[in-house]
Parts: sequence; C-alpha cells; structure tokens
Amino acid sequence: MEVEVFSNDFWKAFAPETILICGLLLIFIIPNLGNSKFRIPLTKVRVPWFLGGRRFKLTGSPAIPGILATGTLFTALGMMVIEAIDGKMDTTTVVSGDIIILQLDNFSRFFEILFLAAVLLASMASLDRIPAHTFEGKKSLEELYDNRRQADFYILMLTTAIGMCTVALAQDLFVLFVGLELASLATYVLVGFHKESKSGAESGVKYFITGSVASGVGLYGLSLLYLEFGSLQLHEIAALWSESSVLGLIALGLVLVGFGFKVSAAPFHFAAPDAYAGANSPVAGVLATASKAMGMIGLIRVLLVIALPETGEEESAVWLYTLATLSVITMTWGNIAALGSTNPKRMLAYSSVAHAGYMLAAMTAVGAWKWGEVDAPADYADTIVAAVLFHLFVLVAFKLGAFLVLGLLEMEGGASRLSALSGLARRDPLIGTAMFVFMLALAGVPPLAGFMSKFLVIAGIVSTSVGELWMNGTVSFSDLHWVWWLALAMFVNSAISVFYYLRIGVVMFLDVPEEGRRKPLPYGASIRMAIWICLVATILLGLSGDTLIDMCYRAADSLNLA
Amino acid sequence: MSGSEIIDYAVLIPLLPFLAFPVILFLGRLFNGTPTWVKNVKEGGIIALTVMGASLVLALLVIKEHMNKVGAADVFTWFESSWWNSETGAITTKVFGFGIYIDHLTVMLLFVAAFLCFLINIFSIGYMNTDPINDNRNHRFYAEFVLFCSGMLGMVLADSFLWLFIFWELMGLCSYLLIGFYYERPSAAYAAKKAFLTTRVGDVFLVIGLVMLWNLFEPYAGSQGALSYAVVFDPEKIAMVNPGDLQLALGMMFIGAVGKSAQFPLHVWLPDAMEGPTPVSALIHAATMVNAGLYIVARMFPFFMEAELGALSTLAIVIAVIGGITAVMAALIAFVQMDLKKVLAYSTMSQLAYIFTGLGSALWLANNGYDDLAAFAMGASLFHLFNHAMAKGMLFMASGSVIHEMHHAHHEVAHHGHDDDHHDDHHDDHFDAQSMENMGGLASRMPITATAMFVGSMSIIGIPLIGGFWSKEGIIASAWKVALKEPIFLLPAMLILIGAGMTGFYMSRMWFMTFAGKPKTEVAEHVHEQTPWIPIPLVILTFMTLSAVILAGMHAGHWLGDFESGHYSSFIDGIGYEMEHVFLNPDPFLMVLTYVAIGLSLVLGPSFAMALYGGSLDGDQKAKPWMQWAINLSARVNKNSKFDNTAWANSSLATSLHKRLHFDDVYDAAMLKIVVGFAKLSAIFDTKFIDGVIKTIESTSQEASRRVRSLTTGSARDYIMMTALGTLVIFILLWGVA
Repeated sequence: MEVEVFSNDFWKAFAPETILICGLLLIFIIPNLGNSKFRIPLTKVRVPWFLGGRRFKLTGSPAIPGILATGTLFTALGMMVIEAIDGKMDTTTVVSGDIIILQLDNFSRFFEILFLAAVLLASMASLDRIPAHTFEGKKSLEELYDNRRQADFYILMLTTAIGMCTVALAQDLFVLFVGLELASLATYVLVGFHKESKSGAESGVKYFITGSVASGVGLYGLSLLYLEFGSLQLHEIAALWSESSVLGLIALGLVLVGFGFKVSAAPFHFAAPDAYAGANSPVAGVLATASKAMGMIGLIRVLLVIALPETGEEESAVWLYTLATLSVITMTWGNIAALGSTNPKRMLAYSSVAHAGYMLAAMTAVGAWKWGEVDAPADYADTIVAAVLFHLFVLVAFKLGAFLVLGLLEMEGGASRLSALSGLARRDPLIGTAMFVFMLALAGVPPLAGFMSKFLVIAGIVSTSVGELWMNGTVSFSDLHWVWWLALAMFVNSAISVFYYLRIGVVMFLDVPEEGRRKPLPYGASIRMAIWICLVATILLGLSGDTLIDMCYRAADSLNLA
Repeated sequence: MSGSEIIDYAVLIPLLPFLAFPVILFLGRLFNGTPTWVKNVKEGGIIALTVMGASLVLALLVIKEHMNKVGAADVFTWFESSWWNSETGAITTKVFGFGIYIDHLTVMLLFVAAFLCFLINIFSIGYMNTDPINDNRNHRFYAEFVLFCSGMLGMVLADSFLWLFIFWELMGLCSYLLIGFYYERPSAAYAAKKAFLTTRVGDVFLVIGLVMLWNLFEPYAGSQGALSYAVVFDPEKIAMVNPGDLQLALGMMFIGAVGKSAQFPLHVWLPDAMEGPTPVSALIHAATMVNAGLYIVARMFPFFMEAELGALSTLAIVIAVIGGITAVMAALIAFVQMDLKKVLAYSTMSQLAYIFTGLGSALWLANNGYDDLAAFAMGASLFHLFNHAMAKGMLFMASGSVIHEMHHAHHEVAHHGHDDDHHDDHHDDHFDAQSMENMGGLASRMPITATAMFVGSMSIIGIPLIGGFWSKEGIIASAWKVALKEPIFLLPAMLILIGAGMTGFYMSRMWFMTFAGKPKTEVAEHVHEQTPWIPIPLVILTFMTLSAVILAGMHAGHWLGDFESGHYSSFIDGIGYEMEHVFLNPDPFLMVLTYVAIGLSLVLGPSFAMALYGGSLDGDQKAKPWMQWAINLSARVNKNSKFDNTAWANSSLATSLHKRLHFDDVYDAAMLKIVVGFAKLSAIFDTKFIDGVIKTIESTSQEASRRVRSLTTGSARDYIMMTALGTLVIFILLWGVA
C-alpha cells in the first residue's frame, strides 16, 4: 500500500511512532505548566497562559517526565507487538512524488520493537538509577541536579528511540542518515549526561568526536554514492549497482566505516569501551544493544540490499573478503581485550565488540551464498539473516540485563571495578543469580537464549558453506566453502569468551564483598522489574523462541534477498 | 485413544513426586524451624504424604483399568528430527518423547512401588521426625525421598529402555543421597560412595548393553526410538536380529541388573547401604529399588520367547547360576551377623537371588520352547518379588521400630528419667541400638512389631500357606524342572534348595535373638512401643503378607506369568488347585522335592535356630498367643538339645563369614593396587602437563589482552587515527579484490 505523507492511512499505519512524538511533546509541555498569565499589551487584562510561572503541584513533580516517557514507550511498544505477533502486517510505503521515504514492513517493525524494548527497559531502570526526589526540605546539590535533569534525560531517550525507528523505516539513504544522526546526537549527550563527573564528561566528548569523524566519513560516502547514481533511493541504487564505477567502490568503503563505528567493529570500536564506562549503565545498555542494531540495519541495507553480489559474477563480490577480515579481527580483538579487562562495563563493551564480529561473519555468509560460490538453496540467506536478527533481539534481554544489574550496583556507588560485584550472590541471591544467567547466556550456554542465537548463526554459516554437498553423501573437508572458517573462528572465540563471562560468576559467588558493600543492595522496584523481565526473556526465548524466530524469518523474508 | 482415559493421567504418577521435590526443598529452606512447619507439616512429611497418596490413588485407578490388558500412551513428544538418507532417498523422522507402557509386570511393580512408598512415607513421619538428630533437615530427607519415588514409579511406567535407564539413574542418585544422609559420619559417606561406585560398574555395562540393543534394532525402528518397547518386543523384529549379538547385549544389561540388585559379585554395597536413616533407606534398598534389577531382567522375557530356540540359553543359565551362588553366599553371611538390619540386608540379597534363579529358569524355558512352564516360572518369580517386597518392607520397618525404641529406652536408662537435654550426647556413647546382642525378650514389650516380624519372617522362610511360601515353592520347582532338561542347572537348583533351609535358620535366629529369651541388657527391659505413625504400616503390611494366600488362590502366579491371560477361577477352586500343586503334585519327583524344601525350611533351619538362640521370656512377661507357642517351643528345644556350636563359631569359616567372605577386602586391595596407582599417575599427568598447558595459555592470553588493550589509549586523537587506518585497510582490501 502506498500512502502520501500525512494522509489518513499514514496516521493509521504509523500510530505507534506518532504516539512517541506526542509523548516527546508532552514531556516538553507538561513540566512547564504553571500559573503564568499573559498581559494583553496596553491593557490591564491578564489572560492565563499556563506556560511558565509558578508550576502547579501536580505537573511540577520531577517524577513526571520519567513516568510519561515510560508510559509512552510502553504504549507504543504494546501496539507494535500486538500488530507484529499475528504476522499479518501490510507493507506500507510512504511516498512523496516518486521518492519512497519510509517503508513499514516486517523488517522495520521488527527493529522498531527491538529499539523500543531496549529504550523502555533502560527508562524503567533509570527511574531508579537517576531518581527524582520529591520530598520537601533541604536537598543535596546532586539531588537538585537529578531533579532538574529529569526532563532532559527522558527527552533524549525518546529522541533516541524516534531516531532509531526512522533508521529502521528509511528507504532512502538520506532519511536513514538523518535518523542515524538524530539517534546518535542524543546518545552522545546521554553518554556525557553526568557532566560533573570527570569520566562522564570526558567519555561523552570523546564519543562525540570519534562518532562525528565516523559520521563525516560515512556522509562523504553517501555523497559519493549520490554523485555516482544520482539518487539515494535504496531500490534505485540497488538496480544500478552492478554498473557502478570505482567511485561506487570508494563510496562503499566510506559508508562501511560510518556504520562500522555504529556496530563497533574493529578498528572503529575504540571509543565504545570508554563511552560505556563513562555513561550510566542503562544508557550503556542501550548503546550496546539498540545502537548496535541500528548500525546493523545500515550494514544490511548497504551490503545486502544495495551491494549484494550478483550470482555468478566474479567482479561483484567486492566486499566479501573485506567483511570476512573485519569480522575475524573484530571478534578476536573484542574477546582478547575482554579477557584481561577488570572493569565490568568495559568487559561488556569488548564482549559486544566480539558479538559484532559474529554478526559480520554471518553477513559474509549471506554474501557468499548470493555470489553463488556455494550451491545452497535460496532460503539459506533468510535463515542466516533471521539468525542475526534473533541474535540482535535476544541481546536486549541478556546484555541489557547485565548492564541493568551493574546499574543497580551503581546506585550504591560506582561499578567500574570487578570487585564491585564480589559477593553479589550472597548479598542478593536473586540478583546474583540473574547476573549469572545473563553471563551464561552471553557465553552461549544452553538452554538460554544466548545459546540459541549463537547456534542459529553458526548453523546458518556452516550450512551455507556445506551447501548442497551433503546430498552427495560424504562431504570432504576441501569441498567446503571458505566461510566455514568463519564459523570455526566464531566457535573458538566463543570458547575463549567463556573465561571472562564465568569470571563474573566466580567473583559473585565465591568472593567476599568489599568494604562498604556489605549491606543489602538498594531496592529500586522498577530497575528490578526491568531485570526480571530480561531474565524471564533470556530463559523463555532460549526454551521456546518459536514465536520470535518466526518473526525474524518474516522480517528477513521481507528484505526479498532471494 | 480418547482423551479422557485414565492412562492419559498415568504420567502424573511419577510427575507429582518429581514436582514435589523442589517444592519441599524450597519450602524447607524458607520455613525451616518454624512451629507450623515442624508440628503441622512435619518438615515436609505431610506434603510428601499427600503427593504419594495421590500417586497411589492414581496408580490404583490405572491398575484397575489395565488389570487384564496391555495399555500404552504417548504422553508427550519432546522433539522430532528428520534427516535425509542419501542412499535410499527417503526422509526419516524420529520422534523423541516419553510414553507410558502398561502390562501385567508394570501393574504388579507399580502397585508394589506406589503402595510401599506410601507406607514408608507414613513410617518416616513417625521415625524421622521424632529423632532429634534429624531436626531441621528432614525436609532434605523428604525431598530426596519423593524424588526417589518418582524415579521408581517412572522406571516402572516408562515405555522404552532409554527412559527406564534415565529413571534408573535418578534412583541411583537418590540412593546415594539417602545413604549419605548423615554425611557428617565418615561411615555413612563411605557407604554412600561405595554404593554409588559399585552400582556404577553395573550401570556402565547397562549403558553398553543398551547401546548394543539400540544398534541391533535401529535398522527396524522406523519413526520410533530403537529402544522403545513397541520396537524391541515386536516378535518379527526380534526374529530379524542376530541372536548372538542380542545375547551379548542382554548380558551386558544383566550386569547392570546385578549391580542394582546387589548380586554376586557386585553385592558389596548393600550391607553398607544400611548406614542411611535407619529403616527408610534400608527399605528402599530392600523392597523397592533393588527390584529394578529384577524388573529389567523380567522385561527381557519377550526376547527369550521370540528369539531362535536355544540361542539365548547361555545367558539364562548365567542368570540362574549367579542367583544360586548369591542365594547361598548371602545366607551364609547372614548366619553370623549381629546387626539386625544387616541380617535383613543379606536376607534381601538372598531372596533377590531366588528371584533371579526363578527368572533364569523362566528365560531358559521360554527360549527352549516350553512356553507353559516358562509362564509358570515367570509367574512364580514375579509373585515372589511381590511377596518378598511386602514382607521385607514390613521386616525393615519393624526392625526400624525396634531400633528406634531401643534408642529411646537407652536414653531413659542412661539418664534415669531426666528428660531435658538428654539428646545432646545422643551419639557419643557406644551403645549399639542395632545389635541383637543387646536385645532379647522384646516379644511382650513390642507386640505389634513382634507380630509383624513374626509374619514377615515366616513369609521369607516360606512357612506353608504364608506369603512367600507359594512363590518360593514355584521357583524351586521350576529350577528343578529345568535341571531335569539341562544338567548345568543342577547347580543353581541344588543351591537354592539348600538355601531354603539356610533361610529358615537365619530368619528364625534373628527373630528368636530379638524377641525371645530374657532381655540381654538393661535397655531391652525398658523398651516400649510408643512412637505414633510407626505401627500403621506394620499392621497394614501384616495383613498384606497374610493375604498372599488369597492372591495365590486368584492365580496371581499365572496372571503374572502369562501376559495374555486374565483368568480368575473361583477362589476355592484356585486354592484347591494351588494346594494340589504344592502338596500333591502329580509328578512324583516334584512332590518329593516340595516336601524336601518344606522340610528344610520349616523344620531343619528353625530347629537349629531354636536350639541355639531360643528361650522363654521373663517370668512376668507374656507375648501374644500367636507368638507365645513359638517361644515356648523354642525354650523347650533349647533346653533339650545338647547342640554346641562353639567349635563351629571359632572355625575359620565363621571368621571369614564375619569378614563377609573377604569380598570387601579383596575389592579394597584391588582398588588400592590398581585404581589408586592409576589415579596417582593421572594426577601427575594432570598437574604437570594439563595444568602446565592451561597456565601457559592463561598467562599468554592475559599478556595478549594487556597489549591489545594498551592500544586503547584513552586519547580521541589515537582513536581517529585508528579509524583512518581502518579506512585505509578497507580500501586496500576492496581494491585487492576489485
């Protein structure tokens, strides 16, 4: 169905996104409602104006923005989930003239759900992590800061969500870039949100500078693409890609850099550990899950939709070896760096670098399949893409969950040393167990979701590399396609990663709590609830992920790769 | 099959206790020590009782429904897996799941397991919760107990050898946990380890056997698991399998049964298993779990029926011979045991050996084409299993009752009635409440217990018309029937005939030492039956054991042996038929044999026991009339006989019997020489080589990690430089390809 912008059908199709924007506006307006009056010039008549002045008691509460944001995200997410689960999504294309701006299909809806889920969980956790103090009387400077910034924080969170949704929906590289920058700029500020602390300010600025460079490079790539093809429409570039000159190749390389930074692929990942360590944990969790997924959308659009190699054409597989090399470097680098890292947040950052490597490997396999080096059935590509999507989605459960546990620890002081976790299982057995489950899931232990996702990715790569060979009976080693080695690299890297994940478990269960951390954990109802949701999802999606896997398949299918 | 049949709920029988396991553990952790938990819930005992009661009721319903037919149900499908065969081009689908399989054998064992588990549960509430040493940890006991019951019930109901094995191992685990319940005692920890490791030897062979069986039947299995009963018991498929390989596979499985049922030479763990919480663990290791080995052998019956004539007779002979040897060996060791529970443990071994011999005969007959005789032997063996389980369950609970009251009496005596804080030094002193040397004359002081022991012992001995008599005669007769056809069978047949007399001796000895004569210690004078809950199962089982005659009249033996039959004649006819067979067998040889067996077990064994250990009670004490005559008789025999056994008691045979015929010593020595030596070698390899390699990997990777991380300088300038470098690398790679 094609709709014009702002037509009736447009509003119907984009109701959840509209709710997000309304929520954003409400956070602008509601905390500012007060008893101010506007005097009509030259008269003494004062008309109530309501914006500004002395705030009403109800609207002036510092807790309002958080509640508004969480409610908005929850409503929007609920609408999307209900729509997506029954699987009867109509593809809605927003056109303006003959330019396709946005497209709502299974693929974009899947990612929107992912983004909103991550941001929602982070907002829920932030209700406790950055508490609003409503009590009367003297307040410390820090509490005043917190109160002042409630609106800022949640506005930024919602902006991030809206930007990410735009990326998911975009059918035009320019729109995609705008969405990307909208989300990125918001996250830069979120990372440096605690600007009073040295690490907060420093990491925010560093993340901003490095991110800007990467965005600049990416944008340069986009402009070269425009120069080459005269359009930034995905479908148009895809149609013309096979006739591109060297300029297209250069553009592709530059765009890869831009998105590579977003998914924190080596060697563009350097700012990520610093940013995660400086940001507060729920925000770091959003960076590690939703922000990465946003980068993956970019890569999928550029590499699989535009530059997918042509079957049988030797020349067309330009990026296969590049991406394979990047993926192996990324996963190995991430894992080796994580091995010795004693800051749990940096450790998780490096682990998410490693996870990026796994996903790049999977995308290489899709390219190899299409290139036709392997004689594999058409649905193999969908299988691998679905596996990547599944992996991205379940990361929200256990990687964000791990960050939220660290957020709970941050509420009683920093969580930047491994010793902050020591004895956690004894101090709070439930939270300790939850953290351990998240670590096991990250390590890929069955029957948790992390196992399922790694299994699907590795199985996808291996079956692609084997192709139809098994039909002949035995498969000899030399017949396998070289992407098989990527699966092996992934496997070895997973084995390495078990070390640092389990070390968290050792520290939590066997070590004695450090001085000053002997008391029970702070309570925090909503952050704990967010952790439980993550925990339940980690276990359930591992045991029976059928519904989600079906969603991933439908999403992959709507890319029309085959 | 319609949805509302009772068999569809049969899965709940093992599932309910299985679910109760975490519940009891969790609640126990939560409420430990609170008054409601201790007084009203009995630290989980009531929860366990409720669950076991529900299981029992369900089991009875299932049994009622399937008394005379074979039932099967697929409970759930776990997963399906399909693959494509490149040779045939066909797609094979395998269904993995759990199902219920019910036939006569299942029905009988299901009843035994559910019924006894329920009674043990009642008994435990009396026994465990009144002993202060168990305070605040009884929930652990009940949790492990229900898990055990779940294993036993599941094993009986499972519809494939694979699930049988899974539940078998679950029981093994629970057995380990329960034997080691008092893990703070080194002897209990040692016994638990010993039981676990010894049965492990058997289990390894069982796995090998199952793998071999799977391998044999896999080509014919179709979409079902190759170990499911529907596949392996299909006559056509059995006929297609190579009988030599089948015999080897079944033999391996039999070794597993030998381990589980504590038969020679893997019997060493059973006496030590008595270290568990006194009666209950003992009962598990006497009345229910050890039957698992018998069950798996009995399950092999269809193989022997359908396989090529005579092809599997070697295995049948091996089974019978192992049974015969164990029967006599265990009985011999039981002669000299002073520990009440150990006598019963060896008696268990010996009686199980009878059943093995009976099964061996049945299998031989089945494999050689004597179907009617085979069904008779099978029925007799299984009926003996039933009778033995009931009687031995009762005996163990009764012995638990004796030991429990001895403990109480000991405290009263030791502290002259000071009731407070008398439990602290409970286990410091060296009074042995289990030794029969400290008992005597309890018949009048513990009437219910003494009666139960009396009936139970008579059932085990095989006193005519009571309990085990019906079935034991059948086993001995079957063994001899085979012996007439196959000379090698003379050995087990002879051994179990002698064993009958020995049973008469050691069981009578136990009863007279405990209940007749004058009290041998002051403690024994102060014993009373006072603990609530304990007498209930004793009374129920006493009637159960006595009612074996009714079952015999209803042709229980025939029913159990022949899976297709469902005939009940009238009760009087049935009794008449059985009587005729037992006492007036048309075959003169068998008739003589019957009377020899009766003579040995009824006259010879008990009279020796009376001569040695008999005696009247104290003057003012009087036992119940149904026991008094036996006590009086024993006193008379004891007075009149000039039998002196000191020479015998000092002989080297008695010494080695005390040492359990040196089996444990030999095994220990072998372990020390071979296993420990090998373990030391492995340890050196482990510390030097494996640890070395791992430490090197560890330090190298940490160093690598340090270097890699040192690239993360913290300066944005460097990050941008790396980004530029990365861009260059991308270009080079792209360029190289293009």
